[in-house]
Amino acid sequence: MIQVKNLKRYYKTGDVIIKALNGVSFNVEKGEFIAIMGASGSGKTTLLRILGLIDHQTKGDYLIKELNLKILPEEQRRYYRLTQLGYVFQDYALINEMTALENVSILSLMADGSKKESIETAHEALKKVGLDGMVNRIPDKLSGGEKQRVAIARAIAKKPNILFADEPCANLDSKTSEQVLNVFKDLNEKYNQTIIMVTHEKWHTKFVSRIITLKDGLIISDKKIK
Amino acid sequence: MLNDLKVGFLSAKSSIKRGNKKTSFFIIFVLALIFMNLIFLPSLINGMMGLFVGFVQDYTYGNIVVEPVEEKIYIENVDNVLKKIRSVTEVTGVAKRIEAGASLRYKQNVVGANIIGLIPKEEVGVSQYPNIVKYGEFLGELSRDEILLGSMIAGVGTGSEIYDNLGEVKVGSLINVTYSNGVERTYKVKGIHEGTFELTDLNAIVHFKELESVLGIEGEQKATSVVVRIANEGEEAYVKDKIIDVGVKEDVFTWQEKAETLVKQALQSIGSIDTMSKIVSLIVGASLIFIIIYINTLNRKKEIGILRAVGVSPNSIRISYIFISLFYVSLGIFLGLIMFFGLVFYFTSNPIVFYETLKIVPKVDFILLIKSILIMVGMSVVAGFIPAWFVTRQDMLEAIWGR
Ligand SMILES: Nc1ncnc2c1ncn2[C@@H]1O[C@H](COP(=O)(O)OP(=O)(O)O)[C@@H](O)[C@H]1O
Ligand SMILES: [Mg+2]
Repeated sequence: MIQVKNLKRYYKTGDVIIKALNGVSFNVEKGEFIAIMGASGSGKTTLLRILGLIDHQTKGDYLIKELNLKILPEEQRRYYRLTQLGYVFQDYALINEMTALENVSILSLMADGSKKESIETAHEALKKVGLDGMVNRIPDKLSGGEKQRVAIARAIAKKPNILFADEPCANLDSKTSEQVLNVFKDLNEKYNQTIIMVTHEKWHTKFVSRIITLKDGLIISDKKIK
Repeated sequence: MLNDLKVGFLSAKSSIKRGNKKTSFFIIFVLALIFMNLIFLPSLINGMMGLFVGFVQDYTYGNIVVEPVEEKIYIENVDNVLKKIRSVTEVTGVAKRIEAGASLRYKQNVVGANIIGLIPKEEVGVSQYPNIVKYGEFLGELSRDEILLGSMIAGVGTGSEIYDNLGEVKVGSLINVTYSNGVERTYKVKGIHEGTFELTDLNAIVHFKELESVLGIEGEQKATSVVVRIANEGEEAYVKDKIIDVGVKEDVFTWQEKAETLVKQALQSIGSIDTMSKIVSLIVGASLIFIIIYINTLNRKKEIGILRAVGVSPNSIRISYIFISLFYVSLGIFLGLIMFFGLVFYFTSNPIVFYETLKIVPKVDFILLIKSILIMVGMSVVAGFIPAWFVTRQDMLEAIWGR
């Protein structure tokens, strides 16, 4: 489903050029649950942002279902993100003035324009992550794990083709992390959801089906687990 | 686009609902004051205008005034002119007048005044002179050796001490009048009038025929002006044309034409102060909204970046800020209207008094009200849109990184 070919991303700060990604290639099939691992600074976030169409590669190609995403203009990239992709940020990235329900429903409203439907979809997604009792709380009134689950609900509400998550458990204790990872696992197993997740915790890998490891912007290992 | 509107609305709603209530109230209050400033002073000026227009129409010019052509002293064949004017359907009243300068003497007091000769029954429905007699009575058809004095020259009106006056003249007193052509007469004071405008109270009135005889033009069908009243205010120019069409060869003016320079002079200075203060307060209002929205966008820069990253359109973010501005400004206008009508109500029951007799009551101009509302709304939309435009034009990734 996904083809990544020789992807490069250079950051230019002053005279220094940082090669955060230096030629990364791999393919992803539908229904895979992939962990991207690697030390801090190895380029995991950079890769995920490009895959999530939030950032642009410097070189290389990125195709989903044969469509080379390089050619999409910005407005279409946005629409693609909205309708085809889900993205969970490292630090929840919720809107503070909105309730859990509003945080989730806003994207369906954006995509389909039906208030009633967007609320139904949001309820459904929040139920999937086990938050049906807290839909009217604002982020300030939620714990870290609950916030992260709202963020996941937002990402999955529109049933995206691919779900991206950047260290979704970075700010969570291990018990909460396990709950969150189980949410992903459920989505993957029950709905055949394709998931690409960045993590640097070794024990997280027991939830996934494949591990890609980065070092200095290059893939140093790529193995499937059954 | 419809989805943009819906998302913008949802986003604005949550932002207002969970934003700081005190700040919101403060913004709304300031906007209310600004709106008031746009409409209150004009309503007072309007009230002053009303007084002034009232004076000009009720005493001096009516709606339309006919005067002798240039270089002539009198309108000739005046009864014929009256007849022609009466034939115009919109005309409700016509009166001819003669004016002459004179000095009035009572005991040792001497006062210069303008004496108006008029036909009492013609004035009913044309001017207010018959209705403002404070002591005694208005002139009758047979009044010849009788005079009506304005309260200022009679010396009985409040504030008359600032003018030369005859000093406590009473109804029935005899006064001597010397006209500018040297003719002398003695009149009995029949009444003393007092209007809302001091200028009217500086005039004296005698019968038209009396002045004809003073000027030696008895039966010659002459007058110095003809004052015309019409059915509908605002049709002056149209009726003027009709009067010319029926063959009146004298100079015909609408009251606006006669009063234009006068009004302009009187209101120019106050008008420019009003314009200045409007501009200043609009700038203050625009800056206020701009700053409030700008700070909001700065605080929410990261959130806005995230919203865009997950697929919310820049337009819906801009629209949400327009909704927020509209919310503030519409409540501001609403509160401002309450305050405005409160003030109008107060000043209507407690008018501002100038020169002791001029009562200025605010007069609401609804066109101006609507214009001001539109200006406020337009201003706030622009002021709210600019920072929203900037924040959505910024690079999305940089916004998320918090730069
Ligand atoms: N915005 C940026 N500007 C400059 N350098 C950056 C930027 N973001 C990341 N980098 C650099 O790129 C490299 C990879 O970063 P990142 O993808 O965030 O790594 P990871 O997520 O694996 O910790 C690092 O050396 C980092 O310093
Ligand atoms: Mg990272």
